Amino acid sequence: MADELEDQLNEEEIIEDDEDEDEDEDEDEDEDEDEPRLNLERRELDFFKRLSEKRVPLRVHDVLIKGNTKTKDSLIESELQVFKKASSMQEIIEAAAIAKARLQALEIFDSVVITLDAGPPELPGTANVVVDVVESKNPLTGDIGFFSKPEARSASIEGSLKLKNLFGYGDIWDGSVVYGFDQTSEISAGIYFPRLKGLLSPLTARISLLSQDWLKFSSYNERLLGLSLGLITTKYHDLAYGLTWRALTDPSQTSSRSVRAQLGHSLLSHLKYTFKLDRRDSPLRPTRGYAFVSTSQIAGLAPDSRSLRFLRQEFDLRYAFPLGYYGAAVNLGVSLGALFPWGNGYTNMASPLPERFFLGGHSSPVCSFRGPTTLLGFKTRGLGPSEPRRFAGRDALGGDLAVTAFADLSFDLPLKLFRQTGIHGHLFASAGNVTKLTENEFWNFSLQRFRESFRTSAGFGIIIPTKLFRMEINYCYILKQLEHDGGKTGIQFSFSSPL
Amino acid sequence: MAEEIEQRKLVLVARKPCFGLPTACPSCLPVYVYLRLAKASFDLRFNLVHPDSDQIPYVEYGEYVAYNNEKGGVIESLKEDGVVDLDSGHPSYDAAEWWAIVRSWLTDAAMYELWIGSDGSSAHKMYFSDLPWPIGKILHYKQARLVKQLLGITKVNVEQKEAEIYRRASLAYVALSNKLGEQNYFLENRPRSFDAILLGHTLFTLHALPEASTLRTKLLEHSNLVRYTENFKTEFLEAGSSSSIPRSPHEPSSSFTPKRGTPPNWGTKPKSKPKREKTEEEKTFKRRAKYFVATQLIAILVFLSLLGGSDEADLDVDDDDGMNYDD
Repeated sequence: MADELEDQLNEEEIIEDDEDEDEDEDEDEDEDEDEPRLNLERRELDFFKRLSEKRVPLRVHDVLIKGNTKTKDSLIESELQVFKKASSMQEIIEAAAIAKARLQALEIFDSVVITLDAGPPELPGTANVVVDVVESKNPLTGDIGFFSKPEARSASIEGSLKLKNLFGYGDIWDGSVVYGFDQTSEISAGIYFPRLKGLLSPLTARISLLSQDWLKFSSYNERLLGLSLGLITTKYHDLAYGLTWRALTDPSQTSSRSVRAQLGHSLLSHLKYTFKLDRRDSPLRPTRGYAFVSTSQIAGLAPDSRSLRFLRQEFDLRYAFPLGYYGAAVNLGVSLGALFPWGNGYTNMASPLPERFFLGGHSSPVCSFRGPTTLLGFKTRGLGPSEPRRFAGRDALGGDLAVTAFADLSFDLPLKLFRQTGIHGHLFASAGNVTKLTENEFWNFSLQRFRESFRTSAGFGIIIPTKLFRMEINYCYILKQLEHDGGKTGIQFSFSSPL
Repeated sequence: MAEEIEQRKLVLVARKPCFGLPTACPSCLPVYVYLRLAKASFDLRFNLVHPDSDQIPYVEYGEYVAYNNEKGGVIESLKEDGVVDLDSGHPSYDAAEWWAIVRSWLTDAAMYELWIGSDGSSAHKMYFSDLPWPIGKILHYKQARLVKQLLGITKVNVEQKEAEIYRRASLAYVALSNKLGEQNYFLENRPRSFDAILLGHTLFTLHALPEASTLRTKLLEHSNLVRYTENFKTEFLEAGSSSSIPRSPHEPSSSFTPKRGTPPNWGTKPKSKPKREKTEEEKTFKRRAKYFVATQLIAILVFLSLLGGSDEADLDVDDDDGMNYDD
């Protein structure tokens, strides 16, 4: 078989085969060859080399799908559109690899095998594609993972049950329970349709009940009951609509005046658009490239003027370049966030407390794109405007304008063991500031004062990436902090998701 | 300097004004009346989005806060802490039986009338008109159910309970009317804290309940109680003494956090209990225990990661492939 293909390549035209031409995408080795192994391998290499160099015109005539009892043909066919454009053997092989990856990404098949077969004898230069799928026998799967979801503000443990392909549309139904390390707990259920009735983008819907305990930092508890719909989800763009009922309470009755004024119920009807461009070489340890993320949120999209109304914008910019030796790389990053209410009397209105920017925390800014949230060395919600509580302590109030920046130099450690396991060291410096703009503070805003009140910290540490999470052990030194800030010089641990 | 002065000002945070009253909620009115009777100068602010909170009404005075569900109520807190004491010089136990009548029979009757006996429009206007419709509806339903539970009303005994509630209210009105006589105030003809809670109830019943309300009709039968109420209204509410009822500049600004009345508060004991202060030793012990457990966990995880470190290269490769094939 391989010989005949070689002949074709030599003549640069396709000769019809009587025998089937099987080309498995996984590139199985040929079997039952009596020729010497070295000769055969050399011929194979030759063959594949010529296959990649010379163009063999071939187009797909028909696509046959086998093995799907529950899954709808239309779903599988929609992932095979790549074959329509292929006009040569190389392109068909590429398309086969893409189609296989896409079908596997649906997570509803145990195995996907794509085979190229000769087309009908009356049509030369055509091939048939045979897609053999094996559907998962057990549609129910359970999972326990360590994640970092965008809605939660820090890492969390999640247990979930998934029911796959209930209606044959590749639909995934899941229920999950999440416990976060910032005293968050969430119960949610969702559905995911990869391609419902020809829609270009997957459709997701999720209903969740989330409870977040901020009593220690800001003297309030937050409870959310929300429905979110993922409208457009592509590689770069994400548009989602959310309808949330939020209740803020203070069972401790020790909150400060500003927090007290914010307790109560509110309805959030918002649209959130995220644009993400990540051209770095690795999300875990970037050494080259840049990334840009913009998150825009507009709330108040309801005819009811009593729902919360605000505009929120976040920018994240990252840039990495290598230094050449010891695997060293420099990562630079800047994050910016702004929040402002809109509607009648917006200059006097206070911005909603849970939407504000709170700086502080232990998650690494290198890997995550969460807007201006992290300043290593400061505790959670550890810097920014604050107000004394009823008795002892202070409530972190957050702000409407926040900026953070960091510079991080990562390098390999001398021991080979560390290099193999991915453990590396880093030196870092970070700066950040957050301020209030609402309730007429906008008129008092001074750029110079904002610049002068930037907090800064620096330090070094070791990063240990594991399959489950990424751990950092850092020694942070606070260079500048203001009164009432919660920065602490010393050793800190931080955990973030590997994703 | 201005901040200090402002901080020392009395601020009452209550529920929304309507029906011609500065605040229509039956648990906020007594506090308002109390402060007016004491001729205290205070700002009135509103919370429109927390109808189910039993912390409202509350009074702020600088850093001091008197919540509704602490120490027996705002009025009691203000008296005890010496902030505003209308009963100074008088023993606190006199009129105890009248307090009991108002606090149980009349309060129950007003609660029943507002949430169950009437069509609910008064309650909606007072508590939910500033919340978005779905939230308002659900909270209204929850409150009505809670009131039924508090009053022990079930499907079977509705009529019987209603009759009992109205009967007690009638008895209370008769007794109060007899005691009041032709005086301007209830006890010794000078304003006392008891007048505040009684006027709070009568103002609410006469003005906030619909005209067809049974309770309102019963109250109207006692002309001296009506006169007593209207006198207060004329003297304090309509006299244009705006220094004590200013519309605070904060009021429109906190448009989504004004707070609402707390009918479920009636009859319930204060929910908050002071947390037991942990001793220093316990805190240190807990902190050390946490560090110990965390160190053990980290050591295990580092060990596992060193064992399984080579798997990561594969994971990265797979991820890259996946990204390439996405559109």
